[in-house]
Amino acid sequence: MSRRRLLLPLLSILFIACGAFVANVVAGNTPSLGLDLQGGASVTMTPIGDYEEASLNVAVDIIRQRVDSIGVAEPEIQRQGKNVVVNLPGVKDQQEALDLIGRTGSVELRPVVNLAENPDLTTTTSAAPGATTTTVKGATTTTVKGATTTLAPPAGGVGSSRGRAETTTTTTVPGTDPETGLKPGQTILPGRKDGMIYLVGPVEATGEVFSNDASVQVEAGSFSVVANLRNGELGENIWNALARKCYDGGEECPTKSIAIVLDGEVISAPRVQTPSFTNGSVSITGNFSRAEAEELQKILQFGAVPVKFETPTVQTVSATLGKDSLRAAIISGLLGVALVLAFLVFYYRLIALVVVAGLGVSSLLMWSIVSWLSKTNGLALTLSGAAGIIVSIGVTVDSYVVFFEKLKDDVQAGRTLRNSASRGFDSAWRTILIADTASLIGALVLWWLTVGSVRGFAFFLGLSTLSDMVVSYFFTRPIVLLLSRTRLFNNGRVLGVRGAQTTAEVA
Amino acid sequence: MAGRWQRLYRGETTINFYGRRNVGFIVSGVLLIVTFGSLLVQGLNLGIDFKGGVAFEMPVKGALTVDSARTILEDNKLEASSAKIQTLSSGSDERLRIQLGELTAEQEKDVKDDLAAKAKVKVEEVSVEKVSATWGRSITWNAVRALLVFLVLVSLFIAWRFESRMAAGAIAAVIHDVGISVGVYSVLQLEVTPSTVVAFLTILGFSLYDTIVVFDKVHENTGRFSGSRVSYGDIVNVSMNQVLMRSLNTTIAAVLPVLSLLILGSGVFGAVALQEFALALLVGMATGAYSSIYIAAPILGILKERSAEYSSKQGELSLGTDMASLMATGAPVSRRASARKAEASESVAPKPAVDALLTHPPRPRKKTRR
Repeated sequence: MSRRRLLLPLLSILFIACGAFVANVVAGNTPSLGLDLQGGASVTMTPIGDYEEASLNVAVDIIRQRVDSIGVAEPEIQRQGKNVVVNLPGVKDQQEALDLIGRTGSVELRPVVNLAENPDLTTTTSAAPGATTTTVKGATTTTVKGATTTLAPPAGGVGSSRGRAETTTTTTVPGTDPETGLKPGQTILPGRKDGMIYLVGPVEATGEVFSNDASVQVEAGSFSVVANLRNGELGENIWNALARKCYDGGEECPTKSIAIVLDGEVISAPRVQTPSFTNGSVSITGNFSRAEAEELQKILQFGAVPVKFETPTVQTVSATLGKDSLRAAIISGLLGVALVLAFLVFYYRLIALVVVAGLGVSSLLMWSIVSWLSKTNGLALTLSGAAGIIVSIGVTVDSYVVFFEKLKDDVQAGRTLRNSASRGFDSAWRTILIADTASLIGALVLWWLTVGSVRGFAFFLGLSTLSDMVVSYFFTRPIVLLLSRTRLFNNGRVLGVRGAQTTAEVA
Repeated sequence: MAGRWQRLYRGETTINFYGRRNVGFIVSGVLLIVTFGSLLVQGLNLGIDFKGGVAFEMPVKGALTVDSARTILEDNKLEASSAKIQTLSSGSDERLRIQLGELTAEQEKDVKDDLAAKAKVKVEEVSVEKVSATWGRSITWNAVRALLVFLVLVSLFIAWRFESRMAAGAIAAVIHDVGISVGVYSVLQLEVTPSTVVAFLTILGFSLYDTIVVFDKVHENTGRFSGSRVSYGDIVNVSMNQVLMRSLNTTIAAVLPVLSLLILGSGVFGAVALQEFALALLVGMATGAYSSIYIAAPILGILKERSAEYSSKQGELSLGTDMASLMATGAPVSRRASARKAEASESVAPKPAVDALLTHPPRPRKKTRR
């Protein structure tokens, strides 16, 4: 392999690592620390008026869901007496904290005027799912409480993202210009999970039209949510007025769908299948998974008896572990790394200096990525994250150990370092790749399926594993291959073992 | 003994790991039984994040500081290390929030009185309220589900990359490690916090990584010996000895920072919160390194010896010089020849075939495309 082909990746990665580091330093990005290490904002929400215990718990769940979805920062949500306390790491601005928590007000029911795919999320296909709703099980005659009337969500509902991508009709939503085109009361809201945006009419009803007993029903393997309407003026009348309007599909509700809105997000937008709901219950069907159906049920239950909170108070909260813990962790962590390096130098002699440089490069890369994500995505480094990094030291060093042991075997068997370096790396790289892939699988699965501190751990584990692979291939390989060609490294006991040739010379 | 160290250093050890597999199984079996017993009898000591507890809140006045609050807790014989003590501030108003696990009414009153006395405020100004867990049931459930998915995926990955028996060995080792670590927490009744959970996951990842590196060597040797009549037990033994130095070095490299955290961080600097965390990691890493050699590989060996390919190749394990020659040449020494040699040279541990190899530089291995 030519010198140039080795120098190029080596110089590139050094350039990238240093460049990223300097760019972050210049931009003033530093890693932000989590609740346990640095503290953050503590938001206390006190319920006012009458509330039901169960509703308050649902409110906590709803807040938890929203706060957890903001990223890898590890927030804490708990009840303290009747208050709900939310601790947010790394947030210093009061308004920012309030925005994150949202309002958690009432559940609103609004007619859907139009809907389209959210251009912020996808730019490739802009589809009008309204056109595909003919395939929705329209004529579902569910047997809940006699002649139950049914709502089926259009393809844009909570769980029915499948089959939507095929439609490629490009439609622009008429009158969606936020400056001018909206009629009074109309507004554009994002869907919570379906990647759609909805143009909705004024609030015509709230979740309080339902009584507090929404339930999930299973029928023929598909899930539906059934909610009962309150009697007369409180529920049925309001709901039926809205339902009739939407069933007729007039100008105010051309999509024939009703959006269920919580905190400015469309949770579900089922299509009305009947003009009037006479027996007091509403069934919402669709391609729900169990979890999605349960979420909708929870939101409808909450909407029926919403908990109203006073304007939350925001306070700055100090770290739970304290500054001394952090300092102790940093000092002892660094000392630990120094010990590791000393051990490696003692064991592998001169070539261990490559490890020192390699760890330097990967720490520059990690620092840059963490700083950058702290700034942009509210990432916060907690003790759990630190655990991921501490383990990564072991794993990173292992890559070198696997490689050097291979070299040592070869040199001992009589090869020159120059000969064995390239072959040794190939063999070590195979091992590293398999072991790191397993770690990456773990990190990705944990990242996708969990929340809170486990998620934070997964993030740092994944990041450090990736960095290990990148540094091994683009830094360690070229530098060892280049060094193995120098006179110094082919002379005597670079690896701490005597090669066969030197033995022969001595003898 | 210098000679032994030197052989270890040069990767020339011939330790009969596979032959002594039952020692490992018995040790691990006993430890796992202790774990089970302890979990049944006393369970785990779950912290405030899982169980909830009480929170004291009061204005910061007089001589009250975070440190003095901690002292008060210690004076009342409460676990100050697991308490969360925070200051809340908005503008000039500063308050102290102390979260503790469940207390008896009496303890609660004592702490309240002491805090009020320290801050020189009325007892009524200290509010006491129940707090819920921050780590909800759904979080635990999510984590468990993720873990199961992860184990299934990793098994499939190992089965695809190596073979299904290796997946079985690796998963057994991982479960063993997490089991033992949980056991340590249960037996010593250390408090389980969210960082403990993360430490367990860390252990799991580390153990798996270690096992895969060992199995990669076994896999490589399986190919190397496939033509000859070498038993799988021998292959495992040879591989273990070849990766022994690597396993030791990696474990030392991984354990040193944790050890430093444990001794320096919590011992010298007194950061108690780090202590249990570091302890969990330390125990886990040690068992991780142990299990890849004493659990994962022997299980693989046992499973493999029953397979069609290797059941006919069983025999006595090659030990000592025989193993050394297996390692060096990749070919078994015939029984008779080795017996003769053993008579001649008694127990001197030479490297018979290595010398033969050294007369000419080894041919570079053929480049095979995978």
